[in-house]
Amino acid sequence: MSTRRPASRLATPVPAENGSNGHRNSVVLGPNDRLVGQLYIEGDLHVSGSVEGNLEATGDIEIAGSGKVNGDVTAYNRLTVGSDASLIAGDVRVARLTVEDGAKFSGKVSMGQHVPKVTEPVAVVPEPVVVVPEPEKPTQKGKRR
Amino acid sequence: MDVQEAVAEGTASAENGEVKRDGRKQFSMGPGDILEGKLIYDGSVHADGKVEGEVRVTGNIDVASGASVKALLEGANVTLKGQVEGMVTARDKLTLGKNARLSGDIQVRRLQIDDGATLNGHVRMGDFEHQASGQ
Repeated sequence: MSTRRPASRLATPVPAENGSNGHRNSVVLGPNDRLVGQLYIEGDLHVSGSVEGNLEATGDIEIAGSGKVNGDVTAYNRLTVGSDASLIAGDVRVARLTVEDGAKFSGKVSMGQHVPKVTEPVAVVPEPVVVVPEPEKPTQKGKRR
Repeated sequence: MDVQEAVAEGTASAENGEVKRDGRKQFSMGPGDILEGKLIYDGSVHADGKVEGEVRVTGNIDVASGASVKALLEGANVTLKGQVEGMVTARDKLTLGKNARLSGDIQVRRLQIDDGATLNGHVRMGDFEHQASGQ
């Protein structure tokens, strides 16, 4: 064990790995947390605090507890709005949607085609990188006479 | 859970035609039935088969899983299990079952969407009274 100082008082450990090794990242905004602005997460997002702004996650988004979100929401996979939670959105783009009875929910919902399906973390074929050797360009700058 | 209650109400009196249930009328369609046009009904509607047009009821609307509906629907509690195209107004609660496919705008007081349901449209919650009683 190294005697490194613990990283202050982080309520939730920040996962270092970000999907690269099959481990899905997950971000939690607790009941006392507040976000004003935009958030993009490669992984899942769990909100039980309040958010003013747009959220996008490549995995699932869950608005739980007394979580409140006021803004557009895009979840590449699933969006869940809990029974005490509220989502007042302009646009909601999700692949799957669950709204529990009691939830406050409004917005324009688009399901299906728009969002690319999330592929399983296993067996992801890396895209072949096509390297096209650039033809040598004349290296003159500007116009020459 | 409220869903089950709604389900029970819809299927309890599945005979075709009009049945009295708890002193309220129910208009119940079978899978082979077709309704085209505008229905204003004082009671509940169990919709199956094919429905096209407009259905406004004082009670509940329940769309069966095999049903195909292209209509404006308005009721107190609306439970969808089949395919629906059109605007839906639920003066109380709208429930989308897991096999429901709805494309259309909805106006509700309470909303429950089960995992597996598909929704494409605008959702508005609350203050629907103007539209619900008008038109």
